[in-house]
Parts: sequence; structure tokens; C-alpha cells
Amino acid sequence: MIRFDRRGLRLATISIAALVAGMAGAASAQDKITLTFANWAAAEGTTRPGIEKVIADFEAANPEIDVVSEAISFSEIARQLVLRARSGNPPDVAQIAGNDTTLLAFTGALEPLDGYVKENLAANLKQGADAGLRDDGGLFAFPWNQSPAGFWYNKEIMQKAGLDPNKPPRTIDELTAALAAIKSSQPDVIPLAIDTTNRAFALSSNWPWMKSFGAVPVGEGATGAESAEMKAYLSWMRKIAQAGYIDPGRRIGEFRPLAAQGHVAFIWDQVLLKGVMQGASKMSDDDFYKTWGVTTLPAGAGKPTTFEGGHQLVMFASGKQKEAAWKFIEYLATSPDAIANYTMSVNSSLPSIKATGKADLDAALGTPVFKAFSDEIIPTLAPQPYGPDFAAAATAIMAGVQEAVTGSQPIDDIAASIQLGLPQ
Amino acid sequence: MAAETTTTEVRVRSRARHEPWLDRMVLPTLVVMAVVVGYPIVYTIALSVQNYNLLDFRPAAYVGAANYTKLAGDPIFWGSLTNTAVYTFGSVGVSALLGLALALLMENLGGARFRAIRALLLTPWAVPFVVVAFLFRYMYLQNGGVINAVLLSTGIIDAPIPWLNSSTLALPAVMVANIWAMAPFFFLLLSAALSAIPNEVIESARVDRAGTWGMIWHIKLPFLRNPLLISSLLMVISNFNDFAKIWAMTQGGPGYSTSTLVVYVYRLAFERFEFGYASAVGVIWLIMLMVLAWIYMRVLRMESR
Repeated sequence: MIRFDRRGLRLATISIAALVAGMAGAASAQDKITLTFANWAAAEGTTRPGIEKVIADFEAANPEIDVVSEAISFSEIARQLVLRARSGNPPDVAQIAGNDTTLLAFTGALEPLDGYVKENLAANLKQGADAGLRDDGGLFAFPWNQSPAGFWYNKEIMQKAGLDPNKPPRTIDELTAALAAIKSSQPDVIPLAIDTTNRAFALSSNWPWMKSFGAVPVGEGATGAESAEMKAYLSWMRKIAQAGYIDPGRRIGEFRPLAAQGHVAFIWDQVLLKGVMQGASKMSDDDFYKTWGVTTLPAGAGKPTTFEGGHQLVMFASGKQKEAAWKFIEYLATSPDAIANYTMSVNSSLPSIKATGKADLDAALGTPVFKAFSDEIIPTLAPQPYGPDFAAAATAIMAGVQEAVTGSQPIDDIAASIQLGLPQ
Repeated sequence: MAAETTTTEVRVRSRARHEPWLDRMVLPTLVVMAVVVGYPIVYTIALSVQNYNLLDFRPAAYVGAANYTKLAGDPIFWGSLTNTAVYTFGSVGVSALLGLALALLMENLGGARFRAIRALLLTPWAVPFVVVAFLFRYMYLQNGGVINAVLLSTGIIDAPIPWLNSSTLALPAVMVANIWAMAPFFFLLLSAALSAIPNEVIESARVDRAGTWGMIWHIKLPFLRNPLLISSLLMVISNFNDFAKIWAMTQGGPGYSTSTLVVYVYRLAFERFEFGYASAVGVIWLIMLMVLAWIYMRVLRMESR
């Protein structure tokens, strides 16, 4: 017979209690749903705390769901998602943007979302928020937030150059004259910051500039790279580069700290620029509005347009927890807490819904920058020729733009070489 | 004497005749090689004759030599091939000369002070390639870069030079960064080779009143020939595959002026997801590397004789 002394009895009791608690915990863990969420918000220092808080809040509100956040950098996420979808191992939900969203939809690996979007949510979506997110199968991605690009102008630099700080250039000719005035009065200032790198994002960013000249090198209604409009755009880019009005080769992100330090007069950048600049300069809202304004792109022969740099959320068709995945997507895009703690704060972007249901949040949307984007800039959103050929087109077009900006080859030859490189 | 040699040769041949052509002990190595090296190569060759796009979930279609025909008429491929050759041979050539000059200069300098200089000269080799790329990228900046700042302040130039943003200057500028990082390798290797030259040879040359140039040209360089050749070949193979520096500094631009084969393959495979066409470029690239490797092996064999 086994005899227990008092110490042994205590140990046995603790062991049994721990075993029972462990089994109960395991049973409860088995009941829990685990969602994998691939995103770059958790990979970037500025947005990581915000997204982690939003995920924690969601888990607290939905104790039956665990979200495993997989941090992947912005430049890597499309590659990783395509490869994972291809190998049958995609996450449940992913953050995605721009041409990458269309690329993923093209693989057929995404779950159509129309069936999940209830009527009241559809009615609350901003007009055009889901433009470009539909194909024959319906809605393939849900708009998480909106972040179009605007033409930001530094009022102090304009004033020093003898320009009216409340009258930003509205046409390409006015812009060129303003750039000249800024360059001659403040040689240390970069008059215009635009992204001239060779990547898909750079084409998205430069597309409205081309449209401003009436050029449509690829896509619907394309007139090719050898059109007079495209040559006019390339010639203008060469002219402003040779005059030293732009600083070629920098990514747009590399201009942001310079803009925050007051070394950039005009910058073609997304709504998130306000948050980035304030984060770097610790400038108050009042000072920011005194220094910076934002408006639509100056127009040439064409109309001013902009591109949607906002982020979308996608669900993979092979996921096993689709209802939970949709609950998470809806929470991220529409919950007032998520909008307050991530979308409008750390991500400095606009929600894709008209009303958040919270008066203070809706009031915040009325501040000068958000209002300018909502009232003036978002109505100029124009679709881009996204699809599997976009990356190839971007390589050819941006290589041509770089050649125009930095080389001496005749513009006609550059236009011809772009045309040759465009997907047929 | 001749009869002895013949007998030895006959013995060696007869032993070779009795050796099995495949030793069982080598089999595990062969299996590992087949999986790690053989499979990817065979799969790449198989992909190169297919129209295989990663975005298209339908089965890949066999297209025969179509990818290779497309390659023959692809100006970006030829431009990238030319850039690869200029980048590789240019960087290795200049680095080897620089390393040789430094090794000869530092050869007879002893003492703690010169040991410190020697260690300093080797530092660039220890810096990771990506760090080298970013270091030079920021030094080359048109606005705010230290190189332009120094040239402007000393009055050498009137306006900033777009080092990485000019289609004519970008490739040489990237090569300078590469040479800076690679020259210490040659310096290290050639210093070791110089110290291995027998003292008797040097002393007898001195007795014969050989001058500095005569000593370098007739005595030292012949001793350095083989190490120089082998290290150069190794570096040629390594530079042929150099991706990090070029991608971090220019991403192959402006235009295609710094696009090398490895950058082009990366764009085709991971931006356009055209794995079939990228594999065709990869096969050509592999053939060229194999030729270089064959030359390397031949040189090694010649040296061992």
C-alpha cells in the first residue's frame, strides 16, 4: 500500500489540479479559432504598436478567436503571398495594396467577399471605395482604408520665393514657373519631390502625372508610349531634372524626412505624409496647417487625377475559418476603435466608410488635410491599368522615365524603347 | 632512367584499371549532391522550356525553345549581359591591381604602426555587402551626399554630380563601391603570397643588383602569378552573381544602365513571376558560370603540377 505523508499529499493534490487545469486549458484552446494575418503594419515601427493594439482589442472582444500576426515587409508581401497561395499554404487574411491586390485576385486564390458584406455596410462604404476591387467573380478585396496622393505645398517656402502661399499651382505651366522661382530663391530646397525609382509603386505614383499630360501608355484607352502626350511628359521631366528641380532616384519615403525639415517645397505623396512629417518634426497640428497645404495635381493638357494608395484586406478561399476571418476584416475596416487606434492615427489614412458612428472621429475627418482629401482629391481618383502585366509595364516605363531624367538619349528614342518593352 | 619512368606509369595505369569506377563510400555524397545541386539544375532546365507564370494556376505549357528565341532578341538581356561583363571583369581587374600595389607597398613595412594600417586596409572586406551598398548610396547622393559636398567645397565641381542618377556614371560608381570592398581580399592574399617567396631567391637577386622594378617584374610577379590567377577567377565567379550591392544602390537603373543578369532574373522571376523565361536566362547564366568554373579547375590543376 502506498502511503502519503503530508508533503506528498500536497504535491499530489497540486499535480492533479495542474493536470485538470491543463486539460481544461487544452480543451478551451481546441475550441479557439486561430486566424493567421499576414501584414506589413506589424513589420513597420510606426504602425506596429497601433496594429498590435487593434488585434488585442479584437481578441478581447472575440475571446473565441486568436489572431496570429505574421509581419512581412511591404516590398515582400506580394511575392510571399503568391508563393504561399501557390503552395497551398496561404494565411487566412492578408493586408495588400495597389497592383499586388489585383495580382493576387488574378491567381484565383481569393475568396469573393460580396456574400459577406451586409446591406448596411455596403450603404456605408464611400462612393468609389471599392472601385478597382471587383472582377467577374465580384468583390475580391475589402477596402481597409483610403490613402490617395495629393499635391502638398510648403507655404513658407512659397512665400520666401515670392509666391502666394494660398495659391498653389493649378497647371503644369504655373508649376514650372513656381519651381524656377523656388530654385533661384532657395537653392538648398528640393523644389519638387516625386518618386522616379524603377518599381511598380513608382508607376502608380507617376501615372497621374502622365495623365496630366493626357498620356496613357498602357491599359484601357492606351495611346502607347510614342504618343505626343507621352513625349511631352518625358520632355517636361527631362526639363525639370536638368534644371535641378527634382532629385532623381530617391524613393518617395526618402523625401519625407527632408520635407519634415522644410527642405522640400512641393511633394506628390499620400495622405499619410501628415503623420510621418509630424512624427519626425513633432510639429503641432496648428503649425502643420500653417506650413503645409494639400490640393489636387496641377493639370497639363489632361485632367488632374490621383491614385489610390490605400490598403485592402483579402481572405483566401482555402481558409477554413471564413466567418471568423470576415469578422476580423470587418472589425479592422469599420470598428471605431480600429479606425481611431490605427487607420486615422498611426496609419494617417482615411476610413473607407462614410460614418464611423462616433462623433469625435467624424469630427476629426473635418480637419483641413482630411477635408481636402475627402472633398477635392478623392473625387479625382482614377483607375490604373493594374493586372499581371503591370509590373512589366512599370519596368519598361520607369526605365524610360529614368533615362529621360538622367540621360541624354533623344526623347523619341526613349519613347520607342519604352514601347518595345511594354507587354504586347 | 626512361625505363624506370615507364615501369612506374605502367604500375599506376594497372592500379587505376583495378580501381572501381564508383566507390560505394562516395554514394551518400552523390545523393546529397543530386538533391541539392542536381535537382534545381534539372528543374530550371525543365522550366526554361515551359511557359510558366506563377500567377497562372493552370498547368505550365511546353513551348520548346521559344523562351531561348525570345532571349536572343531581348535587348535588355544583352544589355544586362554586357553590364555583367563590364562590372565583373572591370571590378576584379582594378581590385587585383590595387590589391597588388598595396601588397607591394606594405611588404617591407613592419612595426605596430604599420600593423594597424594593415588591419585598417583590410576593414572594407569585413563590411557586409549590403552595408557597403547603403554606405556608398548615401555618399553618392546628389543632394546631401558627402562626395559632392567635398568636391563642391574644394571647388573641383560647380554643381553636384548625379553619380547614381546618370546612365553613364551609375555603373562606374557602383563598381567603385565594389572595388573598395574587394581590393582588401587581393591585398590579403597577395601579401601572404609575397611572404612565401623564398629569401634565397630575393637575396640572390639582390646580389645580382636587381633594381626595384626588376625585382618586382622578374622575381615577385612570377611567384604571384598563380595566386593572382586563382583569386581573380574566384572573384569573377563571385561578382558574376553579385546582387546585393547593385540592387541596394540602383535596382539596376537608371533605365537599365546597371542591370546585370542576376538583377534581370530577379525582376523576371519575382516581380513579373515569369518563371519560365527567367529560367531560360538562368540556364544561359549557369552555362557561363560553368565555363568560368571549368577554367578555374584547369588553372588549379595546372598549378598542382
